[in-house]
Amino acid sequence: MNAAIAGDSAPVQAETGAPMLEVKSLRKVFGGLVAVDTISFDVPENSILGLIGVNGSGKTTIMNCINGIYLATEGSIKLRGRELIGLKPHEIARLGIGRTFQVPRLFRRLTLTENLIVPVLDDRRSDRELTEKAEKLLADVDLYRIRDNYAEELSGGQQKLVELLRVMMLDPDLILLDEPFAGVHPNLCKVFLDQILKLKDSGKSFILVSHDLTSVYSLSEHLLVLNQGRKIAEGNAREIQTNPDVIEAFLGR
Amino acid sequence: MITTLLVQALISGLILGALYGLIGCSLTIIYGTMRIVNFSHGEFVVAGCYAVFVFFTATHLHPLLAVPLVFIGFFGLGMCLYFLFVPRLSRSDDPEVASFLTFYGVSLMAGATLLYFFEADTRSLNYIFRPSVFKIGSIFIPTAQLVALAAGLVIIGILTWFLYRTIHGKALRAAIMNRDAIQIVGVNINSLSALAFGLAIGLAGTTGVLLALVFPAFGPFSGIDFTLIGFVVIVLGGLGHPVGAIIGGIVFGVAEQVAIVFLPQSLSHAVGFLILIATIALRPAGLFGKVAMR
Repeated sequence: MNAAIAGDSAPVQAETGAPMLEVKSLRKVFGGLVAVDTISFDVPENSILGLIGVNGSGKTTIMNCINGIYLATEGSIKLRGRELIGLKPHEIARLGIGRTFQVPRLFRRLTLTENLIVPVLDDRRSDRELTEKAEKLLADVDLYRIRDNYAEELSGGQQKLVELLRVMMLDPDLILLDEPFAGVHPNLCKVFLDQILKLKDSGKSFILVSHDLTSVYSLSEHLLVLNQGRKIAEGNAREIQTNPDVIEAFLGR
Repeated sequence: MITTLLVQALISGLILGALYGLIGCSLTIIYGTMRIVNFSHGEFVVAGCYAVFVFFTATHLHPLLAVPLVFIGFFGLGMCLYFLFVPRLSRSDDPEVASFLTFYGVSLMAGATLLYFFEADTRSLNYIFRPSVFKIGSIFIPTAQLVALAAGLVIIGILTWFLYRTIHGKALRAAIMNRDAIQIVGVNINSLSALAFGLAIGLAGTTGVLLALVFPAFGPFSGIDFTLIGFVVIVLGGLGHPVGAIIGGIVFGVAEQVAIVFLPQSLSHAVGFLILIATIALRPAGLFGKVAMR
Protein backbone atom coordinates (compact mmCIF):
# COMPACT_ATOMS: atom_id res chain seq x y z
CA MET A 1 0.00 0.00 0.00
CA ASN A 2 1.33 3.35 -0.97
CA ALA A 3 1.96 5.43 2.11
CA ALA A 4 1.57 8.66 0.16
CA ILE A 5 -2.06 7.90 -0.58
CA ALA A 6 -3.15 7.21 2.96
CA GLY A 7 -4.81 9.92 4.98
CA ASP A 8 -6.35 8.96 8.30
CA SER A 9 -6.95 5.47 6.87
CA ALA A 10 -3.30 4.44 7.09
CA PRO A 11 -2.50 0.93 5.85
CA VAL A 12 -2.53 -1.67 8.56
CA GLN A 13 0.83 -3.22 9.39
CA ALA A 14 1.31 -6.98 9.28
CA GLU A 15 1.47 -8.96 12.49
CA THR A 16 3.87 -11.86 12.28
CA GLY A 17 2.10 -15.18 11.88
CA ALA A 18 -1.43 -13.76 11.99
CA PRO A 19 -3.70 -14.10 8.93
CA MET A 20 -4.07 -11.02 6.76
CA LEU A 21 -7.87 -11.18 6.74
CA GLU A 22 -10.02 -12.83 9.40
CA VAL A 23 -13.71 -13.30 8.73
CA LYS A 24 -15.64 -14.57 11.74
CA SER A 25 -19.29 -15.63 11.88
CA LEU A 26 -20.19 -13.34 8.99
CA ARG A 27 -23.92 -13.10 8.41
CA LYS A 28 -25.79 -10.98 5.89
CA VAL A 29 -29.57 -10.91 5.76
CA PHE A 30 -31.69 -9.09 3.15
CA GLY A 31 -35.21 -8.83 4.55
CA GLY A 32 -36.11 -12.47 5.17
CA LEU A 33 -33.36 -13.88 2.96
CA VAL A 34 -30.19 -15.12 4.61
CA ALA A 35 -27.59 -14.52 1.87
CA VAL A 36 -24.56 -15.39 4.01
CA ASP A 37 -25.08 -17.62 7.03
CA THR A 38 -22.43 -17.50 9.77
CA ILE A 39 -19.34 -18.04 7.68
CA SER A 40 -15.78 -17.90 8.99
CA PHE A 41 -12.49 -18.10 7.14
CA ASP A 42 -8.98 -16.63 7.09
CA VAL A 43 -6.85 -15.34 4.25
CA PRO A 44 -3.15 -15.81 5.07
CA GLU A 45 -0.50 -13.36 3.88
CA ASN A 46 0.62 -13.90 0.27
CA SER A 47 -2.03 -16.47 -0.58
CA ILE A 48 -4.95 -17.07 -2.91
CA LEU A 49 -8.27 -18.16 -1.47
CA GLY A 50 -10.79 -19.52 -3.96
CA LEU A 51 -14.50 -19.00 -3.31
CA ILE A 52 -16.71 -21.33 -5.33
CA GLY A 53 -20.39 -22.14 -5.39
CA VAL A 54 -23.40 -22.12 -7.64
CA ASN A 55 -25.22 -18.88 -8.46
CA GLY A 56 -26.83 -17.32 -5.38
CA SER A 57 -24.57 -19.17 -2.96
CA GLY A 58 -23.31 -15.92 -1.38
CA LYS A 59 -19.85 -15.48 -2.96
CA THR A 60 -20.32 -11.94 -4.22
CA THR A 61 -22.23 -10.94 -1.08
CA ILE A 62 -19.17 -11.92 0.99
CA MET A 63 -16.97 -9.80 -1.28
CA ASN A 64 -19.42 -6.90 -0.95
CA CYS A 65 -19.32 -7.19 2.85
CA ILE A 66 -15.51 -7.24 2.85
CA ASN A 67 -15.14 -4.08 0.79
CA GLY A 68 -17.95 -2.20 2.49
CA ILE A 69 -20.58 -2.13 -0.25
CA TYR A 70 -22.87 -4.06 2.11
CA LEU A 71 -22.97 -3.63 5.85
CA ALA A 72 -22.73 -7.08 7.43
CA THR A 73 -25.68 -7.99 9.63
CA GLU A 74 -23.49 -9.84 12.16
CA GLY A 75 -19.93 -11.02 12.56
CA SER A 76 -16.50 -9.53 12.18
CA ILE A 77 -14.11 -8.83 9.31
CA LYS A 78 -10.60 -7.86 10.36
CA LEU A 79 -7.73 -6.79 8.15
CA ARG A 80 -4.55 -7.44 10.13
CA GLY A 81 -6.52 -6.98 13.33
CA ARG A 82 -8.44 -3.89 12.28
CA GLU A 83 -12.22 -4.20 12.13
CA LEU A 84 -13.61 -3.29 8.72
CA ILE A 85 -17.34 -3.52 9.41
CA GLY A 86 -18.79 -0.02 9.55
CA LEU A 87 -16.08 1.52 7.40
CA LYS A 88 -16.99 3.11 4.07
CA PRO A 89 -15.84 1.52 0.78
CA HIS A 90 -13.24 4.23 0.11
CA GLU A 91 -11.79 3.81 3.61
CA ILE A 92 -11.49 0.05 3.10
CA ALA A 93 -9.87 0.61 -0.30
CA ARG A 94 -7.31 2.89 1.31
CA LEU A 95 -6.59 0.34 4.02
CA GLY A 96 -5.35 -1.94 1.25
CA ILE A 97 -8.24 -3.93 -0.22
CA GLY A 98 -8.82 -3.64 -3.97
CA ARG A 99 -11.77 -5.05 -5.89
CA THR A 100 -12.74 -5.98 -9.43
CA PHE A 101 -16.26 -6.87 -10.56
CA GLN A 102 -17.95 -9.50 -12.68
CA VAL A 103 -19.26 -6.64 -14.86
CA PRO A 104 -16.39 -4.13 -14.97
CA ARG A 105 -17.14 -0.74 -13.45
CA LEU A 106 -14.84 1.50 -15.41
CA PHE A 107 -15.45 5.19 -16.05
CA ARG A 108 -16.71 4.80 -19.60
CA ARG A 109 -15.96 8.25 -20.98
CA LEU A 110 -12.52 8.56 -19.42
CA THR A 111 -9.43 7.32 -21.25
CA LEU A 112 -7.58 4.26 -19.97
CA THR A 113 -4.86 6.43 -18.44
CA GLU A 114 -7.46 8.66 -16.78
CA ASN A 115 -9.27 5.61 -15.41
CA LEU A 116 -6.04 4.55 -13.74
CA ILE A 117 -5.12 7.91 -12.21
CA VAL A 118 -8.53 8.84 -10.76
CA PRO A 119 -8.10 6.51 -7.72
CA VAL A 120 -4.84 8.26 -6.78
CA LEU A 121 -6.56 11.64 -6.64
CA ASP A 122 -4.94 12.60 -3.32
CA ASP A 123 -1.53 11.13 -4.03
CA ARG A 124 1.30 13.56 -3.33
CA ARG A 125 3.22 12.53 -6.42
CA SER A 126 2.99 14.79 -9.47
CA ASP A 127 0.45 14.14 -12.24
CA ARG A 128 3.39 13.28 -14.50
CA GLU A 129 4.69 10.58 -12.15
CA LEU A 130 1.22 9.11 -11.77
CA THR A 131 0.65 9.15 -15.51
CA GLU A 132 4.01 7.41 -16.03
CA LYS A 133 3.03 4.72 -13.51
CA ALA A 134 -0.35 4.24 -15.22
CA GLU A 135 1.25 4.04 -18.65
CA LYS A 136 3.80 1.50 -17.43
CA LEU A 137 1.02 -0.71 -16.10
CA LEU A 138 -0.81 -0.41 -19.43
CA ALA A 139 2.38 -1.22 -21.32
CA ASP A 140 2.87 -4.38 -19.23
CA VAL A 141 -0.39 -5.78 -20.64
CA ASP A 142 0.07 -4.39 -24.14
CA LEU A 143 -2.62 -1.72 -23.82
CA TYR A 144 -0.26 1.28 -23.98
CA ARG A 145 -1.03 1.90 -27.65
CA ILE A 146 -4.71 2.51 -26.84
CA ARG A 147 -4.06 4.41 -23.60
CA ASP A 148 -5.97 7.46 -24.91
CA ASN A 149 -9.04 5.48 -25.97
CA TYR A 150 -12.20 5.73 -23.92
CA ALA A 151 -12.81 2.75 -21.65
CA GLU A 152 -16.16 2.09 -23.34
CA GLU A 153 -14.30 1.32 -26.58
CA LEU A 154 -12.61 -1.75 -25.07
CA SER A 155 -13.83 -5.33 -25.20
CA GLY A 156 -15.28 -6.81 -22.02
CA GLY A 157 -12.07 -8.76 -21.35
CA GLN A 158 -9.88 -5.69 -21.84
CA GLN A 159 -12.14 -3.75 -19.48
CA LYS A 160 -11.62 -6.42 -16.82
CA LEU A 161 -7.88 -6.15 -17.30
CA VAL A 162 -7.95 -2.35 -17.00
CA GLU A 163 -10.05 -2.70 -13.86
CA LEU A 164 -7.29 -4.87 -12.36
CA LEU A 165 -4.68 -2.28 -13.36
CA ARG A 166 -6.82 0.42 -11.72
CA VAL A 167 -6.77 -1.61 -8.52
CA MET A 168 -2.99 -1.95 -8.82
CA MET A 169 -2.56 1.84 -8.90
CA LEU A 170 -3.46 1.88 -5.19
CA ASP A 171 -1.01 -0.96 -4.53
CA PRO A 172 -3.39 -2.93 -2.27
CA ASP A 173 -2.30 -5.90 -0.18
CA LEU A 174 -5.48 -7.91 -0.76
CA ILE A 175 -7.31 -8.02 -4.08
CA LEU A 176 -10.85 -9.36 -4.46
CA LEU A 177 -11.42 -10.74 -7.95
CA ASP A 178 -15.03 -11.43 -8.92
CA GLU A 179 -15.31 -13.72 -11.96
CA PRO A 180 -12.18 -12.38 -13.67
CA PHE A 181 -12.25 -15.00 -16.43
CA ALA A 182 -15.98 -14.97 -17.29
CA GLY A 183 -16.51 -14.13 -20.95
CA VAL A 184 -12.84 -13.33 -21.52
CA HIS A 185 -10.93 -14.48 -24.62
CA PRO A 186 -8.38 -17.23 -23.76
CA ASN A 187 -5.44 -15.03 -24.82
CA LEU A 188 -6.56 -12.31 -22.45
CA CYS A 189 -7.20 -14.92 -19.72
CA LYS A 190 -3.52 -15.83 -19.95
CA VAL A 191 -2.50 -12.16 -19.59
CA PHE A 192 -4.83 -11.90 -16.59
CA LEU A 193 -3.37 -15.07 -15.04
CA ASP A 194 0.17 -13.78 -15.55
CA GLN A 195 -0.75 -10.56 -13.78
CA ILE A 196 -2.25 -12.45 -10.85
CA LEU A 197 0.84 -14.65 -10.50
CA LYS A 198 3.16 -11.65 -10.80
CA LEU A 199 1.24 -9.84 -8.07
CA LYS A 200 1.26 -12.95 -5.91
CA ASP A 201 5.06 -13.17 -6.32
CA SER A 202 5.28 -9.57 -5.12
CA GLY A 203 3.48 -10.52 -1.88
CA LYS A 204 -0.15 -9.77 -2.64
CA SER A 205 -3.07 -11.92 -1.48
CA PHE A 206 -6.28 -12.66 -3.35
CA ILE A 207 -9.81 -13.83 -2.86
CA LEU A 208 -10.89 -15.31 -6.16
CA VAL A 209 -14.52 -15.94 -7.09
CA SER A 210 -14.96 -17.84 -10.33
CA HIS A 211 -17.07 -20.40 -12.10
CA ASP A 212 -13.97 -21.41 -14.07
CA LEU A 213 -13.09 -24.26 -11.71
CA THR A 214 -9.91 -25.22 -13.60
CA SER A 215 -8.42 -21.77 -13.00
CA VAL A 216 -9.59 -21.64 -9.39
CA TYR A 217 -8.20 -25.10 -8.61
CA SER A 218 -4.86 -24.32 -10.21
CA LEU A 219 -4.44 -20.87 -8.62
CA SER A 220 -5.85 -21.29 -5.10
CA GLU A 221 -3.95 -22.78 -2.20
CA HIS A 222 -7.16 -23.00 -0.23
CA LEU A 223 -10.78 -23.18 -1.33
CA LEU A 224 -14.09 -22.48 0.29
CA VAL A 225 -17.26 -23.98 -1.13
CA LEU A 226 -20.56 -22.21 -0.51
CA ASN A 227 -24.10 -23.35 -1.01
CA GLN A 228 -27.20 -21.30 -0.18
CA GLY A 229 -25.15 -18.93 1.96
CA ARG A 230 -23.49 -21.68 4.00
CA LYS A 231 -19.96 -23.04 3.93
CA ILE A 232 -20.22 -26.69 2.92
CA ALA A 233 -16.54 -27.53 2.50
CA GLU A 234 -13.03 -26.14 2.62
CA GLY A 235 -9.58 -27.43 1.83
CA ASN A 236 -7.15 -27.70 -1.04
CA ALA A 237 -8.20 -28.44 -4.61
CA ARG A 238 -7.80 -32.19 -4.27
CA GLU A 239 -9.87 -32.36 -1.07
CA ILE A 240 -12.61 -30.23 -2.63
CA GLN A 241 -12.78 -32.25 -5.85
CA THR A 242 -13.40 -35.45 -3.90
CA ASN A 243 -15.72 -34.03 -1.27
CA PRO A 244 -19.16 -35.72 -1.56
CA ASP A 245 -21.02 -32.62 -0.29
CA VAL A 246 -19.41 -30.52 -3.00
CA ILE A 247 -20.20 -33.05 -5.68
CA GLU A 248 -23.80 -33.12 -4.55
CA ALA A 249 -24.08 -29.33 -4.47
CA PHE A 250 -22.62 -28.90 -7.93
CA LEU A 251 -23.98 -31.95 -9.74
CA GLY A 252 -26.94 -33.08 -7.62
CA ARG A 253 -27.43 -36.71 -6.64
CA MET B 1 -35.21 44.13 -42.31
CA ILE B 2 -36.27 40.68 -41.21
CA THR B 3 -32.74 39.39 -41.92
CA THR B 4 -31.25 42.07 -39.69
CA LEU B 5 -33.69 41.23 -36.92
CA LEU B 6 -32.95 37.55 -37.31
CA VAL B 7 -29.18 38.04 -37.11
CA GLN B 8 -29.68 40.33 -34.13
CA ALA B 9 -31.83 37.66 -32.48
CA LEU B 10 -29.27 34.95 -33.21
CA ILE B 11 -26.51 36.97 -31.60
CA SER B 12 -28.65 37.81 -28.56
CA GLY B 13 -29.69 34.15 -28.36
CA LEU B 14 -26.09 33.02 -28.44
CA ILE B 15 -25.13 35.43 -25.67
CA LEU B 16 -28.09 34.61 -23.44
CA GLY B 17 -27.80 30.93 -24.32
CA ALA B 18 -24.20 30.78 -23.15
CA LEU B 19 -25.33 32.17 -19.79
CA TYR B 20 -28.30 29.79 -19.64
CA GLY B 21 -25.84 27.02 -20.46
CA LEU B 22 -23.70 28.02 -17.48
CA ILE B 23 -26.76 27.79 -15.23
CA GLY B 24 -27.54 24.33 -16.62
CA CYS B 25 -23.93 23.25 -16.38
CA SER B 26 -23.70 24.06 -12.68
CA LEU B 27 -27.07 22.43 -12.04
CA THR B 28 -26.05 19.25 -13.85
CA ILE B 29 -22.79 19.00 -11.89
CA ILE B 30 -24.87 18.77 -8.71
CA TYR B 31 -27.40 16.35 -10.18
CA GLY B 32 -24.78 14.22 -11.87
CA THR B 33 -22.49 13.72 -8.89
CA MET B 34 -25.12 13.52 -6.13
CA ARG B 35 -28.49 12.86 -7.77
CA ILE B 36 -29.62 15.95 -5.87
CA VAL B 37 -32.31 18.08 -7.50
CA ASN B 38 -31.35 21.61 -6.49
CA PHE B 39 -34.62 23.45 -6.89
CA SER B 40 -33.07 26.55 -5.30
CA HIS B 41 -30.41 26.92 -7.98
CA GLY B 42 -32.03 29.99 -9.56
CA GLU B 43 -32.05 31.78 -6.21
CA PHE B 44 -28.26 31.53 -6.10
CA VAL B 45 -28.12 33.00 -9.60
CA VAL B 46 -30.30 35.90 -8.45
CA ALA B 47 -28.22 36.22 -5.28
CA GLY B 48 -25.22 36.63 -7.63
CA CYS B 49 -27.08 39.49 -9.35
CA TYR B 50 -27.65 41.14 -5.96
CA ALA B 51 -24.05 40.50 -4.92
CA VAL B 52 -22.70 42.45 -7.90
CA PHE B 53 -25.36 45.12 -7.31
CA VAL B 54 -24.11 45.58 -3.73
CA PHE B 55 -20.47 45.44 -4.87
CA PHE B 56 -20.99 48.12 -7.51
CA THR B 57 -23.13 50.34 -5.29
CA ALA B 58 -20.55 50.19 -2.52
CA THR B 59 -17.34 50.49 -4.55
CA HIS B 60 -18.27 51.87 -8.01
CA LEU B 61 -15.61 49.54 -9.40
CA HIS B 62 -16.07 47.60 -12.64
CA PRO B 63 -18.74 44.91 -12.05
CA LEU B 64 -16.55 42.17 -13.54
CA LEU B 65 -14.13 42.70 -10.65
CA ALA B 66 -16.84 41.12 -8.49
CA VAL B 67 -16.58 37.80 -10.35
CA PRO B 68 -13.71 36.24 -8.33
CA LEU B 69 -15.13 37.55 -5.04
CA VAL B 70 -18.62 36.22 -5.80
CA PHE B 71 -17.21 32.87 -6.91
CA ILE B 72 -15.17 32.43 -3.73
CA GLY B 73 -18.02 33.59 -1.48
CA PHE B 74 -20.62 31.39 -3.17
CA PHE B 75 -18.21 28.45 -3.31
CA GLY B 76 -17.89 28.66 0.48
CA LEU B 77 -21.66 29.04 0.86
CA GLY B 78 -22.18 25.97 -1.33
CA MET B 79 -19.77 23.89 0.77
CA CYS B 80 -21.64 24.93 3.96
CA LEU B 81 -25.01 24.06 2.40
CA TYR B 82 -23.64 20.72 1.23
CA PHE B 83 -22.58 19.64 4.71
CA LEU B 84 -25.82 21.02 6.20
CA PHE B 85 -28.20 19.12 3.88
CA VAL B 86 -26.75 16.73 1.36
CA PRO B 87 -25.09 13.90 3.35
CA ARG B 88 -28.43 13.33 5.14
CA LEU B 89 -30.37 13.40 1.86
CA SER B 90 -27.95 10.95 0.24
CA ARG B 91 -28.82 8.40 2.92
CA SER B 92 -32.55 8.55 2.16
CA ASP B 93 -34.25 5.86 0.10
CA ASP B 94 -35.20 8.33 -2.61
CA PRO B 95 -32.64 11.16 -2.58
CA GLU B 96 -34.07 12.80 -5.69
CA VAL B 97 -37.55 13.43 -4.22
CA ALA B 98 -36.18 14.24 -0.75
CA SER B 99 -33.71 16.73 -2.23
CA PHE B 100 -36.36 18.29 -4.44
CA LEU B 101 -38.54 19.01 -1.39
CA THR B 102 -35.63 20.18 0.77
CA PHE B 103 -34.26 22.53 -1.84
CA TYR B 104 -37.73 23.82 -2.65
CA GLY B 105 -37.72 24.91 1.00
CA VAL B 106 -34.25 26.43 0.56
CA SER B 107 -35.58 28.25 -2.52
CA LEU B 108 -38.43 29.80 -0.50
CA MET B 109 -36.07 30.76 2.32
CA ALA B 110 -33.56 32.29 -0.09
CA GLY B 111 -36.32 34.27 -1.83
CA ALA B 112 -37.62 35.52 1.53
CA THR B 113 -34.10 36.48 2.65
CA LEU B 114 -33.53 38.48 -0.55
CA LEU B 115 -36.95 40.14 -0.05
CA TYR B 116 -36.00 41.06 3.54
CA PHE B 117 -32.73 42.69 2.55
CA PHE B 118 -33.63 44.21 -0.83
CA GLU B 119 -37.43 44.62 -0.69
CA ALA B 120 -39.82 43.65 -3.45
CA ASP B 121 -38.81 46.30 -5.99
CA THR B 122 -36.73 45.08 -8.88
CA ARG B 123 -33.17 46.35 -9.04
CA SER B 124 -30.81 46.87 -11.91
CA LEU B 125 -27.10 47.34 -12.29
CA ASN B 126 -26.64 50.91 -13.46
CA TYR B 127 -23.16 50.49 -14.83
CA ILE B 128 -22.82 52.03 -18.28
CA PHE B 129 -20.27 50.69 -20.71
CA ARG B 130 -18.54 53.12 -23.10
CA PRO B 131 -19.41 52.82 -25.92
CA SER B 132 -22.74 51.39 -24.90
CA VAL B 133 -23.37 49.72 -28.26
CA PHE B 134 -21.24 48.15 -30.97
CA LYS B 135 -22.44 48.54 -34.54
CA ILE B 136 -21.44 45.95 -37.10
CA GLY B 137 -23.10 46.80 -40.44
CA SER B 138 -26.76 47.18 -39.59
CA ILE B 139 -26.46 45.04 -36.43
CA PHE B 140 -26.34 46.66 -33.00
CA ILE B 141 -24.92 44.72 -30.08
CA PRO B 142 -24.94 46.20 -26.58
CA THR B 143 -21.41 46.25 -25.13
CA ALA B 144 -22.74 44.79 -21.89
CA GLN B 145 -23.90 41.69 -23.79
CA LEU B 146 -20.53 41.32 -25.53
CA VAL B 147 -18.68 41.68 -22.24
CA ALA B 148 -21.01 39.13 -20.62
CA LEU B 149 -20.44 36.74 -23.54
CA ALA B 150 -16.67 37.15 -23.39
CA ALA B 151 -16.65 36.61 -19.62
CA GLY B 152 -19.03 33.66 -20.02
CA LEU B 153 -16.76 32.06 -22.62
CA VAL B 154 -13.73 32.55 -20.36
CA ILE B 155 -15.63 30.87 -17.51
CA ILE B 156 -16.73 28.02 -19.79
CA GLY B 157 -13.09 27.66 -20.90
CA ILE B 158 -11.81 27.50 -17.31
CA LEU B 159 -14.56 25.06 -16.36
CA THR B 160 -13.78 22.83 -19.34
CA TRP B 161 -10.08 22.93 -18.45
CA PHE B 162 -10.92 21.97 -14.86
CA LEU B 163 -13.23 19.12 -15.85
CA TYR B 164 -11.08 17.67 -18.64
CA ARG B 165 -7.49 18.51 -17.66
CA THR B 166 -7.21 18.35 -13.86
CA ILE B 167 -7.31 15.17 -11.82
CA HIS B 168 -10.07 16.54 -9.56
CA GLY B 169 -12.14 17.47 -12.62
CA LYS B 170 -11.65 14.00 -14.07
CA ALA B 171 -12.66 12.49 -10.73
CA LEU B 172 -15.77 14.64 -10.73
CA ARG B 173 -16.68 13.40 -14.21
CA ALA B 174 -15.90 9.86 -13.08
CA ALA B 175 -18.32 10.33 -10.16
CA ILE B 176 -21.00 11.48 -12.63
CA MET B 177 -20.36 8.34 -14.73
CA ASN B 178 -20.29 5.84 -11.87
CA ARG B 179 -20.86 7.03 -8.32
CA ASP B 180 -20.44 3.54 -6.82
CA ALA B 181 -17.21 2.68 -8.60
CA ILE B 182 -15.42 5.83 -7.54
CA GLN B 183 -15.93 4.97 -3.87
CA ILE B 184 -14.64 1.45 -4.35
CA VAL B 185 -11.41 2.72 -5.89
CA GLY B 186 -10.70 4.73 -2.74
CA VAL B 187 -12.07 8.20 -3.49
CA ASN B 188 -13.98 9.91 -0.68
CA ILE B 189 -17.26 10.70 -2.41
CA ASN B 190 -18.26 13.06 0.40
CA SER B 191 -15.29 15.38 -0.17
CA LEU B 192 -15.69 15.18 -3.93
CA SER B 193 -19.42 15.95 -3.71
CA ALA B 194 -18.75 18.92 -1.41
CA LEU B 195 -16.28 20.23 -4.00
CA ALA B 196 -18.88 19.72 -6.75
CA PHE B 197 -21.60 21.49 -4.74
CA GLY B 198 -19.30 24.41 -3.91
CA LEU B 199 -18.21 24.67 -7.53
CA ALA B 200 -21.80 24.60 -8.79
CA ILE B 201 -23.05 27.26 -6.38
CA GLY B 202 -19.94 29.35 -7.12
CA LEU B 203 -20.75 29.07 -10.83
CA ALA B 204 -24.41 29.95 -10.22
CA GLY B 205 -23.42 33.13 -8.35
CA THR B 206 -20.88 34.05 -11.02
CA THR B 207 -23.48 33.54 -13.76
CA GLY B 208 -25.72 35.88 -11.77
CA VAL B 209 -23.03 38.59 -12.01
CA LEU B 210 -23.00 38.24 -15.81
CA LEU B 211 -26.80 38.13 -16.06
CA ALA B 212 -27.00 41.36 -14.07
CA LEU B 213 -25.03 42.98 -16.90
CA VAL B 214 -27.43 41.67 -19.54
CA PHE B 215 -30.88 41.70 -17.92
CA PRO B 216 -32.52 45.05 -17.32
CA ALA B 217 -33.82 44.13 -13.87
CA PHE B 218 -33.98 41.38 -11.28
CA GLY B 219 -36.11 40.83 -8.20
CA PRO B 220 -36.08 38.56 -5.14
CA PHE B 221 -38.41 36.08 -6.83
CA SER B 222 -36.72 35.90 -10.24
CA GLY B 223 -34.95 32.72 -9.15
CA ILE B 224 -37.67 30.29 -10.19
CA ASP B 225 -37.33 31.43 -13.83
CA PHE B 226 -33.63 30.63 -13.82
CA THR B 227 -34.21 27.30 -12.08
CA LEU B 228 -36.71 26.33 -14.77
CA ILE B 229 -34.34 27.40 -17.52
CA GLY B 230 -31.58 25.38 -15.82
CA PHE B 231 -33.71 22.24 -15.80
CA VAL B 232 -34.81 22.77 -19.39
CA VAL B 233 -31.27 23.09 -20.69
CA ILE B 234 -29.94 20.06 -18.82
CA VAL B 235 -32.76 17.93 -20.20
CA LEU B 236 -32.11 19.37 -23.67
CA GLY B 237 -28.38 18.70 -23.44
CA GLY B 238 -28.60 15.32 -21.71
CA LEU B 239 -28.73 14.78 -17.94
CA GLY B 240 -25.37 14.69 -16.19
CA HIS B 241 -23.47 16.04 -19.18
CA PRO B 242 -21.88 19.46 -18.43
CA VAL B 243 -20.87 20.25 -22.02
CA GLY B 244 -24.30 19.09 -23.26
CA ALA B 245 -25.88 21.59 -20.84
CA ILE B 246 -23.89 24.46 -22.38
CA ILE B 247 -25.06 23.46 -25.86
CA GLY B 248 -28.62 22.93 -24.58
CA GLY B 249 -28.47 26.47 -23.13
CA ILE B 250 -27.43 27.92 -26.46
CA VAL B 251 -30.23 26.05 -28.26
CA PHE B 252 -32.78 27.33 -25.74
CA GLY B 253 -31.43 30.91 -25.84
CA VAL B 254 -31.39 31.08 -29.63
CA ALA B 255 -34.89 29.53 -29.91
CA GLU B 256 -36.26 32.02 -27.40
CA GLN B 257 -34.70 35.07 -29.04
CA VAL B 258 -35.52 34.05 -32.61
CA ALA B 259 -39.13 33.37 -31.57
CA ILE B 260 -39.38 37.00 -30.39
CA VAL B 261 -38.86 38.08 -34.02
CA PHE B 262 -41.82 36.07 -35.32
CA LEU B 263 -44.17 35.75 -32.37
CA PRO B 264 -45.71 38.03 -29.77
CA GLN B 265 -43.27 38.30 -26.82
CA SER B 266 -45.66 36.54 -24.45
CA LEU B 267 -45.74 33.51 -26.75
CA SER B 268 -42.03 33.48 -27.50
CA HIS B 269 -41.19 32.09 -24.06
CA ALA B 270 -43.25 29.03 -24.88
CA VAL B 271 -41.03 28.09 -27.81
CA GLY B 272 -38.12 26.93 -25.63
CA PHE B 273 -40.51 24.76 -23.64
CA LEU B 274 -42.04 23.36 -26.81
CA ILE B 275 -38.55 22.31 -27.87
CA LEU B 276 -38.16 20.69 -24.44
CA ILE B 277 -41.41 18.71 -24.81
CA ALA B 278 -40.46 17.66 -28.35
CA THR B 279 -37.02 16.59 -27.12
CA ILE B 280 -38.46 14.49 -24.30
CA ALA B 281 -40.93 12.89 -26.71
CA LEU B 282 -38.48 12.21 -29.54
CA ARG B 283 -35.06 12.00 -27.89
CA PRO B 284 -35.51 11.28 -24.17
CA ALA B 285 -31.74 11.20 -23.64
CA GLY B 286 -31.48 14.83 -24.79
CA LEU B 287 -30.43 16.48 -28.05
CA PHE B 288 -26.90 15.22 -27.52
CA GLY B 289 -28.12 12.10 -25.79
CA LYS B 290 -25.96 9.75 -27.77
CA VAL B 291 -22.93 11.51 -26.41
CA ALA B 292 -24.42 11.92 -22.97
CA MET B 293 -25.60 8.37 -22.62
CA ARG B 294 -22.48 6.66 -23.87
